[in-house]
Amino acid sequence: MNSLRLFFVGGLISYRALFGWLSPWILVPTFLFAPLFQIFLFVYIGRTAGVNDDRFFLIGNAVVNAAVPCLFAMGNTIGGERNAGTLPLLIASPAKRVPLFLGRALPVILNGFLVAVFALVVGALLLRVDLPPATWGGIAVAIAACSISCTGLGLLGAAVALRVRETAVMSNIVLGTLIVFAGVNVPVTAMPGWMQGVAQWLPMTHGIHATHDLAAGRSLGSVSGALLTELLLGAFYATLGLTLLRWLEWESRARATLDTA
Amino acid sequence: MVRVAEPVIEVEELARTFHTRRGLFRRPGKEIEAVKGVSFAVERGELFGLLGPNGAGKTTTIKMLITLLLPTGGRARVLGHDVVKDARDVRGKVGYVFGGDRGLYERLSGLDNLRYFAELYGVPPRESKQRVGELLELVGLVGREKERVEGYSRGMRQRLHIARGLLHRPQVLFLDEPSIGIDPVGARELRVTVKNLVESGTTVLLTTHYMFEADELCDRIAVIAQGRIVAQGTPDDLKQQVTTGTVVEIEVFGLPDGVLEKVRAEPDVQSVAVDVQGQAQLLTVHAQPGADVTQAVMAHLEGSRFGRVITRQPTLEDAYIELVNAA
Repeated sequence: MNSLRLFFVGGLISYRALFGWLSPWILVPTFLFAPLFQIFLFVYIGRTAGVNDDRFFLIGNAVVNAAVPCLFAMGNTIGGERNAGTLPLLIASPAKRVPLFLGRALPVILNGFLVAVFALVVGALLLRVDLPPATWGGIAVAIAACSISCTGLGLLGAAVALRVRETAVMSNIVLGTLIVFAGVNVPVTAMPGWMQGVAQWLPMTHGIHATHDLAAGRSLGSVSGALLTELLLGAFYATLGLTLLRWLEWESRARATLDTA
Repeated sequence: MVRVAEPVIEVEELARTFHTRRGLFRRPGKEIEAVKGVSFAVERGELFGLLGPNGAGKTTTIKMLITLLLPTGGRARVLGHDVVKDARDVRGKVGYVFGGDRGLYERLSGLDNLRYFAELYGVPPRESKQRVGELLELVGLVGREKERVEGYSRGMRQRLHIARGLLHRPQVLFLDEPSIGIDPVGARELRVTVKNLVESGTTVLLTTHYMFEADELCDRIAVIAQGRIVAQGTPDDLKQQVTTGTVVEIEVFGLPDGVLEKVRAEPDVQSVAVDVQGQAQLLTVHAQPGADVTQAVMAHLEGSRFGRVITRQPTLEDAYIELVNAA
């Protein structure tokens, strides 16, 4: 019961506590306007370059924006505690770490999902890209899978925040890596072999690929393999993140870096 | 059979060394011994004070006891649990309150701060609501609990810290300079709260720079300086350790010639000082420990006009300063 409450109630309160620094004046432009600008930029680059597939750029750039809250808000679950001076209190609490941190991931996943859905829907309306209603359900599942897997990677970033003071720079680099490698603007199959190898291990790659297929009319069952891979990658990064959190928590007590990293 | 009370906090030769590095490349290392093998024990229901100057090792000691820092030497047990091996057991049974503005979620209300920490400490939901209400009342934040903490004054934040530390009814409470930044009324209320907690059976380890606070509250005190405990005992024990005895202060209007020398020549007088205060002179006489020189000094002043006469014992502050300076 305690673990469940910590997961659901604790996760929601901490999300409000730690991600609240993004006031509406920052939150709305970051989550609603910036993804649209990114979509417009790449769609128009595509049109200028003679690649007349607006849908490809719309999907890639809309879905990848789920990574913004997933990476930054998760990274902030430790970084924000350090800034507030609450990190020692969190570490000195007897709370079980797995429900504590996974609970913090839940609102972040929802946030990422909503950002990507908004960007996709509004982008499609403004650019007059046709996404048949029959595909909406499958696309939503794919976006949810991407948000989950990306939050797993964000949890790894949160763990690193136990060792370094600033995680926003790292999250920006990871976001850039996803934009380049995950098939957002260039199909993975068109990339050099080593880049394809990297892409296979990144969140978003399989989910974005599945979203393209779903938008093209393929069934959810036919992309289930890609979505499962996406989720497994998320679980892999989340497990790595929780393991690293455990180790770095011990190390921070040994090296006295909880206040001073 | 005689039952011997087992200490609630047992600290044996506890030590902590910090390694610091400077620069980016070929970083020269430096070792700082913050705590150099301190030992003490605190009984159940006792209020134990840890006094010392800034950087003496008080907070480092507390951080080791609440499992935030791993010791580099010695051992410590809290409620029978080793602070290194049984960290989780320790965490669930102790509370920790420190001074200062930080350590709260600014964007959340005071109420939500308490709710969240209640979740972290596994306080059952039904009990949590009641407990939060009780504590808000205890610390005088009823009516302000729904406001964001970012709008709280320093005193309100400190009171919220105290409520947070008590949420899970800890058996042992660590208070690290809890009255810092609180106004005199708030500090007095805090002392009453701490006294009540001790009366209800909570064991408290307190650090403070306010000597009157330590004197009023603590059953026993350890004075720590440069990472070592330099004295330990009740406040009265510590006062006894000072080389100064009773202090007599006499306000005299026109001190006769030669009186100063005569007083100084008294066998039990350790030192004499005169301070001119307007038309009066304040004669301050420090007696040898255990001696009372009031009558002897007054005899030398026969015929003089004098105002107030005060005889006071050496304070804990006198003892503290002497102990720390000697360390």
